[in-house]
Amino acid sequence: MRKAAALLFTLGLLFLLSVMFLRFELGQAPMRIGKDILAAAPEQVGAANIVTSVVLGYRGLDTLGEIAILFTAATATGLILSGLGGGQRRDPEGGFILRHGADLVFPFLMLVGMYIVVHGHLTPGGGFQGGVVLAAAFFLPLLARPSRAVSHSALGWIEGLAGASFIVIGLWALTLDQAFMTPWLHQGVLGELFSAGTLPLLYLALGLKVGAELASLLAHLAEVEASE
Amino acid sequence: MNAIVLPVVLPLLAAFLLPSLARIWSSAARVLGPVLMLVSLCVLWTTWGEHPTPFVVALGGFQPPMGIAFHVDSVAMLFAFLVAGGALLMWPAWTDDDTMPRLAALTLLLVAAATGLALSGDLFNVYVFYELLSVASFGLVSARRTGAAFAAGFRYLVISGFGSVLALLGIALIYLRTGTLNIAHLGQLAPESLADPFGLAAFALLLLGFGVKAELFPVNTWVPEVYAGSSARVAGLLAGVVSKLAVLVVVRMLVVVFPHDETRMLLLILGVVGVLSGELAAWSAKDMRRMLAFSSIGQLGMIFIAFSIPGEAGWVAGLALVLHHLVVKSGLFLIADRWGGALQSLTGAARVSPFTAGLFVLFALSLIGVPPLPGFWAKLQLVIGLVENGNGVYLGALLVFLAATVIEANYLFRLAVAMYAEGASSTVTAPSGGNRIGAAIFAAVLVAAVFLLNPLSEAIDDLAVVGNDATGYMDSLAGGAR
Repeated sequence: MRKAAALLFTLGLLFLLSVMFLRFELGQAPMRIGKDILAAAPEQVGAANIVTSVVLGYRGLDTLGEIAILFTAATATGLILSGLGGGQRRDPEGGFILRHGADLVFPFLMLVGMYIVVHGHLTPGGGFQGGVVLAAAFFLPLLARPSRAVSHSALGWIEGLAGASFIVIGLWALTLDQAFMTPWLHQGVLGELFSAGTLPLLYLALGLKVGAELASLLAHLAEVEASE
Repeated sequence: MNAIVLPVVLPLLAAFLLPSLARIWSSAARVLGPVLMLVSLCVLWTTWGEHPTPFVVALGGFQPPMGIAFHVDSVAMLFAFLVAGGALLMWPAWTDDDTMPRLAALTLLLVAAATGLALSGDLFNVYVFYELLSVASFGLVSARRTGAAFAAGFRYLVISGFGSVLALLGIALIYLRTGTLNIAHLGQLAPESLADPFGLAAFALLLLGFGVKAELFPVNTWVPEVYAGSSARVAGLLAGVVSKLAVLVVVRMLVVVFPHDETRMLLLILGVVGVLSGELAAWSAKDMRRMLAFSSIGQLGMIFIAFSIPGEAGWVAGLALVLHHLVVKSGLFLIADRWGGALQSLTGAARVSPFTAGLFVLFALSLIGVPPLPGFWAKLQLVIGLVENGNGVYLGALLVFLAATVIEANYLFRLAVAMYAEGASSTVTAPSGGNRIGAAIFAAVLVAAVFLLNPLSEAIDDLAVVGNDATGYMDSLAGGAR
């Protein structure tokens, strides 16, 4: 009974979707808001990377929502795993080449990650992308030397404070009698490193938060896997 | 006016810092959440007093429809109050063990997302908050870390993820057609861009997507396991408060963007099937918490039937049912804390805890709709709305609704009679003190509503006018956002 109902539902949905896509005139979408934003963004926000003006300016609250979702997923995973993990790590140490290669690559990964984060308002990239590279930089030594303990409390503080500063930068606009998330530093010259108001600061906070969160999540998963 | 973001943003801020704070000062971390709920209530209260609703806050200072806007009218304010108040009464993270910080953080995230759903006036922003709400509830549901909780959480995750994809597809269709995401702007463009089968399909996809949390008929199969497997307070929060926010999103889209006969009919049919299937399943349920879960599906079905009635009559009935169900079902889940398992074990439970059994009878009578309790008035509004609308399908819905009420009365009375059975001794224990106090507060609200029925019905009439006023919602966009 249940399977028949599920099949019927799936078939109905499939029919709906196929009819929709057969009859849809693609390539003629109106660009109402898109055009307006393209025209106004350089003047209004002052970020050379127009994607950043949308991600942190026009739809800044969505971005706050996204990092909150990532944080929620990490917290929920932590809650579920906390009853399972905590045992002694059993993975063997990496070989000579892996260990020293990891040490060698670490500073370059940090550099690339920070560069992508800091230049998010100028070139393609930004907090999310740079944050993932930063997380990889911290996870690589862990793969090479599994016995090394990760300081979850330090990562937790970095992540918490970075997230808090994202919100506090947004809330500071309220003291200037502006709405939440209004950029408030001087806009500067389009294309220079110190431009686009508070957007680079927001991206820095976002990059640190994403990096710390992913590093902590990966470490957590590795610990549980090892203790099983 | 700008302070209206605080009930959304402060819980996020607190949630980010809470796990770290708990490492150095755990007692502060424990009370932080409930204190924040009080702060949110104060902020909402003062903002409501100072600024005439409706008003629009352009977040980031970018004028809607280019940026995201919060659209704050009295209906949105009401739901924001309900979220903060409900979370305060049913705070699930008073525990002493190591799960407290994460549980508290997840609850704060749930509250922030639910408040965002009430206030946001941007369709994609609504989707982001809906996702946040979903992920936070996955964590809360699995928090007991039992096999049953994991199984329920996993099923919930799969269905919810499926629903989210459908909702996102619906939003993509709408954006492809209109090129905008602001709900008021969508309302202005809808007559030329969305009044065709594509618009209807987009609405159907949104309905199925957001319907997952609103316990709408085909996508509600997660409900019984999740409410039976999670803690009583989490079940109370999800059934009482969170489901209503999803209803609000659907109804807003119905009124502002898709006010057609076809969309109303779709809502009506799914509501009717929900009432029937929910009440019949509750009737044959063998476990109190499953019974409450199925009854919740039935009640949400009634709410969908109410909102499918065009005009203010539908909103009056819908809001009355929403408020009534929030109070009663939350109270019932708090009572059912330790009363899960086979229904037979509750025989003679009145001797174990006369107070709790008394509360159960009170809630049950109101749920059935026995005058003078508020449940009677709420159901009466639905009957009036359906009869006034006069045409065949709505009268059919009325018949189903009346039959469902008979079934509801049957299974609730059966349980109440069993609780007071002579000569039997029950093996169950009384609910914890905190849950009993919470349930007593909900019962007090219910009884107070009996005496305040006149001012309450006037307030609901005013809210219904605002909620049903699609042009008012759209005009607020042109009326100059700051």
